[in-house]
Amino acid sequence: MRCCKLSLEPGELENLKSRIGRMPTRTEMHIVAAEWSEHCSYKSSKMHLKKLPMKGPLVISEKGYDSGVLDAGNGYVITAHIESHNHPSAVEPYGGAATGVGGVIRDILSAGTRPIAILDGLRFGDISTDMHSRWLFKSAVSGIADYGNCLGIPTVGGEVEFDECYQNYALVDVAAVGFGKRADLVRNHAQKGDLVVLLGGMTGRDGIGGSQFASDSLESENRSAVQIPDPFIEKLIIEAVIEARRQNLIHAMKDLGGGGLSCAISETADALEIGMDVDVKMVHTREQDMNPEEIMTSESQERMLIITGQPELELLQNICKKFRISCSVIGHVTADRQMRIRRGQEILADIPAGVVANASLLDLPSKRPQYLDEMDKRVPEQINNYTEILERLLTSPNIASRAWVYNQYDHEVGIRTVVRPGLDASVLRLDNGRYLALTIDANPKHCHVNPRQGAAGCFEEACRNIVCVGARPAGMLDHLQFGSPENPEIFWTFLESLEGLAEYAKILEIPCIGGKVSLYNETPAGPIKPTPMIAILGLADKLFVAQKTSEGDSLIVLGDTKNEMGGSEYYEYIHKITGGTCPAVDSATSKKNMNAVLDIIDGGLVKSVHDCSKGGLAVAISELCMTSGIGCSTNLDDTPGDAPLDAMLFSESHSRYLLVVEPKNKDAIISLLKERRVFFGDAGRFGGKKMRIECKGSMIDLSVDKAQKGWSSSLGRLVHG
Amino acid sequence: MPAFVVSVTIENKPGISDPEGETILNDLVLRGSSEEISRIRTAKMLKFTIIEADKESAGDRVEKICNDLRIFNPLVSSVSIGVSEQAGSN
Amino acid sequence: MRVGIVVFPGSNCDRDMYHVLADVFGLEVTYCWHEHNLPDDLDGIVLPGGFSYGDRLRAGAIAARSPVIADVKKMAQRSVPILGVCNGFQILVEAGLLPGALLKNDSLSFMCGWTELIVNSSRTPFTSKFSKGQRVPIPVANSEGRYYADADTLKEMERNDQIVFRYGDHVNGSSDKIAGVCNVEGNVVGMMPHPERAAEPEINPAGTGTTSLIFESLCGVAS
Repeated sequence: MRCCKLSLEPGELENLKSRIGRMPTRTEMHIVAAEWSEHCSYKSSKMHLKKLPMKGPLVISEKGYDSGVLDAGNGYVITAHIESHNHPSAVEPYGGAATGVGGVIRDILSAGTRPIAILDGLRFGDISTDMHSRWLFKSAVSGIADYGNCLGIPTVGGEVEFDECYQNYALVDVAAVGFGKRADLVRNHAQKGDLVVLLGGMTGRDGIGGSQFASDSLESENRSAVQIPDPFIEKLIIEAVIEARRQNLIHAMKDLGGGGLSCAISETADALEIGMDVDVKMVHTREQDMNPEEIMTSESQERMLIITGQPELELLQNICKKFRISCSVIGHVTADRQMRIRRGQEILADIPAGVVANASLLDLPSKRPQYLDEMDKRVPEQINNYTEILERLLTSPNIASRAWVYNQYDHEVGIRTVVRPGLDASVLRLDNGRYLALTIDANPKHCHVNPRQGAAGCFEEACRNIVCVGARPAGMLDHLQFGSPENPEIFWTFLESLEGLAEYAKILEIPCIGGKVSLYNETPAGPIKPTPMIAILGLADKLFVAQKTSEGDSLIVLGDTKNEMGGSEYYEYIHKITGGTCPAVDSATSKKNMNAVLDIIDGGLVKSVHDCSKGGLAVAISELCMTSGIGCSTNLDDTPGDAPLDAMLFSESHSRYLLVVEPKNKDAIISLLKERRVFFGDAGRFGGKKMRIECKGSMIDLSVDKAQKGWSSSLGRLVHG
Repeated sequence: MPAFVVSVTIENKPGISDPEGETILNDLVLRGSSEEISRIRTAKMLKFTIIEADKESAGDRVEKICNDLRIFNPLVSSVSIGVSEQAGSN
Repeated sequence: MRVGIVVFPGSNCDRDMYHVLADVFGLEVTYCWHEHNLPDDLDGIVLPGGFSYGDRLRAGAIAARSPVIADVKKMAQRSVPILGVCNGFQILVEAGLLPGALLKNDSLSFMCGWTELIVNSSRTPFTSKFSKGQRVPIPVANSEGRYYADADTLKEMERNDQIVFRYGDHVNGSSDKIAGVCNVEGNVVGMMPHPERAAEPEINPAGTGTTSLIFESLCGVAS
């Protein structure tokens, strides 16, 4: 059984021995192996993550939090976190994706805030050719839907992409957001004599060794780490914890995730500078005959660790009784900073929490990958008519409408959702009269061609999405997903991506409020493409609701279109070219364009704003037409950029926005843009039933209805075969 | 050749929890006066009607179909197969 | 006017309903936990949406055996207005207070989106301010929302004016496009769509206030 296989490297055992001055016990070895896994300890990445700016005027730092905290104003806070459940989802997509939602929700809960939104970022193999990828996709979406819907937390946004590099694999990333009063945040503290309480579902054999499993590649067939989701218990835990927090019964709290009790106990003790004495006999288990090591490393879902005081215990137990969830006192807090695990009188482990919680960090070697020099250098021929190519792009799995996915998610429960999924970003109303915009984004095709620019670019794109709904980016969550860090070439792509993110974050002054690293994402065919996933939280004082485009409205295009076709849908989907120059972010232009758009929105000058990204200008214009059911006659010759025809249409250059403008506001916008020295072009007008896009003497001519039909039904058709 | 009805019962493996069964037990059955019940496990049953030479090959054929088409996920679930000779049944 | 919101383990639209009744319509609202008796002085009862007991066995089947249901039945006999929304509708059906059954949608999956509701009867305490045939925008969000009743039952319901709401379109395969029904007396109403998600202009993409007539009708009962 996997649980009995120790993942401590020989060097790590030596390291552990020298830090505690003796041979560790069997239980200690299991605890340390779980906690020192890549998944829990971040040993390969931690020393580099410091590059990301973590501070900002709105960031609130508290010890022992699993989620980031932002000041939302008027005494309210927003909490946010991102997690993935890739390995479990690759073998059991329904349960893996569902429990992924559960885990990140408990991170939000452990700060004492009520979860108010979920976003998901998904990656699968090519569903147009591969049945298995289809099954993974369909099941993961059902898993997320069933779990989030049952909790009554709206899944308000997300994104999905298909690429052959994920064949026989899946990336399931879930970000969650919470909201509450700043005064109600759990101030993690504990003192000698406090009680350690385990609350929620039973501890079972399911999910044993999960964190080690997540830190191995998928080649091994031993896949015992499956977890069964129970959203009903999770819902009861949420209500019980919020009630306990309201009655001030919680001194400190932590979710049980990867590494189970081993991780929760050691990290809490280390962060709070306390010790804990825990008896495994007191843990409520699903099976009778579990051994202490299994109890300490089980990753059974829907459990919380709570530290409370003796006087508060009875009240906490009453709440748990009301919600019919188990609540066991499993130990007490000590002053000696030791993690002491016992079975009755028998001491099984007695080890400094600081040793368990802090693996020795690695400084792994890196090397520029050879593949970067061996990429496809073909350049597609320019043709006369791109109508058919646009039609194909609009039905490509990566561009087609996502309605098939988000219509399975309850995105309205909680009655905060004012801008719904399907637009650039979703917007929630907050109790203090402000608005929270949310989006999540990744671009592995760009990152594969150029990890640094690709990562910065997906960061910028996520910010553009936020700006399009009239909000200002306030915080960022990153989730860095790569193959094995032991491969120097892969580790180089990790470092480059991180540099790209850090640089952009610093210049735009957007703090990283939380993040996660997932390594060893390898399929039988090799490592995944670098997949940094970025979620952005934006704040707005005023609600900007896009108006429907109508006959006679003008289209203004902001930003420069460059010949940057590497990693584009046009290269990859139409021409099967992996190579070329990937779009690069110019931070100064990015900032300038962003501020101009925000001011135009603030001034009430624009009907709607749309980001230009996957599929380039031709696709972005089509999306505006299709969502409003109106045609256009546009000409790109006056839009900024001196790229060749195909690039003008399909290049995915950054910092571009499409503005839909009523004729009466056109002059005001143009003078604002001129004053700010923003590159822009008047691209034409909306009207009729045909989408006409003219450029360099070539003309795309496509019926809106026809395009709309293909675009909106493509994904559902692919899934159902 | 005769027709057989092959019933395929899919349930979570013994060590894997079954939240639905637990809820039906704890929140419905035990709340009545049925304290003699100690466990409820849910399952899904598929009934295949198949024309085959004999009982054994009918069962084998359906089992193969279930495995090939991933009708259950072997990681989570186990199946038990029962065959009865029963023409005209649905 | 005092309205009770019955809360079951797994209810998840209770807080939304509270906000709309209390903050938007200014009613006195109280939560009623499913294990407790209902206060005697309630002028209205709402069973909100959600996933009581995780929708296990059948949506609403376990909650319908809760202690509070005996009180709900008594109140129903006393002609107190009772509204079940989504899971609340499923519970009322499982408890035998409303006819029919709610089955899995014909898409076999959860569906969330806005649709059009046609008011078919304005005789209930929740529809008195509508005119028959009036169309209102409303969101649906469910996976077991396909209303089913056999032909004879449907005929009788039609005769008794028990069909309260229909969908404007075929959204999930419901018999006769039924979205909401009432008991013979008309004081117990169940509906799959979520009126509490459409009662404020800010969250109503159609930008109309007509959906809030469901709550305005209830407010009108007291006066």
